[in-house]
Amino acid sequence: MTTTAPETNAAFAAEHDVPIPYMQRTRDYYLALGYSPYRWAHFVEVPFTPLRTPLGQARVALITTAAPFQPELGDQGPGAAYNAAAKFYQVYSASTESVPDLRISHVGYDRLHTSAADINSYLPLARMKDAAAAGRIGALGPRLHGAPTNRSHRVTTETDCPELLRRCREDGVAAAVLVPS
Amino acid sequence: MCHQTVSLAARHLEAHGISTVIMGCAKDIVEHCGVPRFLFSDFPLGNSAGRPFDVESQAQTLALALRVLESAPAARTTLQSPLRWNADGSWKLDYLDLTKLSPEKIAARRKEFDEVKTVARAKREAS
Repeated sequence: MTTTAPETNAAFAAEHDVPIPYMQRTRDYYLALGYSPYRWAHFVEVPFTPLRTPLGQARVALITTAAPFQPELGDQGPGAAYNAAAKFYQVYSASTESVPDLRISHVGYDRLHTSAADINSYLPLARMKDAAAAGRIGALGPRLHGAPTNRSHRVTTETDCPELLRRCREDGVAAAVLVPS
Repeated sequence: MCHQTVSLAARHLEAHGISTVIMGCAKDIVEHCGVPRFLFSDFPLGNSAGRPFDVESQAQTLALALRVLESAPAARTTLQSPLRWNADGSWKLDYLDLTKLSPEKIAARRKEFDEVKTVARAKREAS
């Protein structure tokens, strides 16, 4: 939808057609429900490591927040309701030789406008294999790694991040693609 | 929380010599945290790797992320994918839209959320 700006001939996009302000929406929503505001992680300094080898020669890791499917833990299929029982609390790894069955029923994805029916929409494993086969990346790491979506900054930074680093080093990767669900 | 988790992870890896790129759909959360490289898709949460059942969209999304990975000049580099979820973007109005919730629905959501938290807490403590 477009509208014409007053006193100009420019056609502007609709006011709502901007990236969703998730932090503000979440804050307002949980305040309305009666909870305290959440403090989002925020830093001024940002580390930066230039890629040390050409991408076509680099081994690249895939890191996801999707969860291994556990049939005994209720509906985790496309469009399933939020399923807290399917959450995980330790970093896990899975071979990238095959395609592990990973689901996202344990997180707050947009259940109104999408259904998580295609794993490739939240896990670019097949596309990364294509990229490796085409020589766009040197190789895909031998394992993908799962990052728990804890609500605690401390556990994420002090426990999970060092564990992800340890596993990436074991795999000898130069770079990582990280994909939230 | 997923976007915050991977943002923290990207920062940690990067600080220890591993280059990173995030593919994600929540622009504000990732940029508020501050990350080295970010390919932003203006899609509903759950589609960080491209449109469902659309290999071309997924391939294009990864291709852009890899371009960012190898060519970002400095930290906090965000590239927005040109792909659109739909023409009018009206889906963006719906996420946690309080104007559509009556007081009764808000109370029901609170009850649901308390139940979810109880399940998650029990699982976390058992792990």
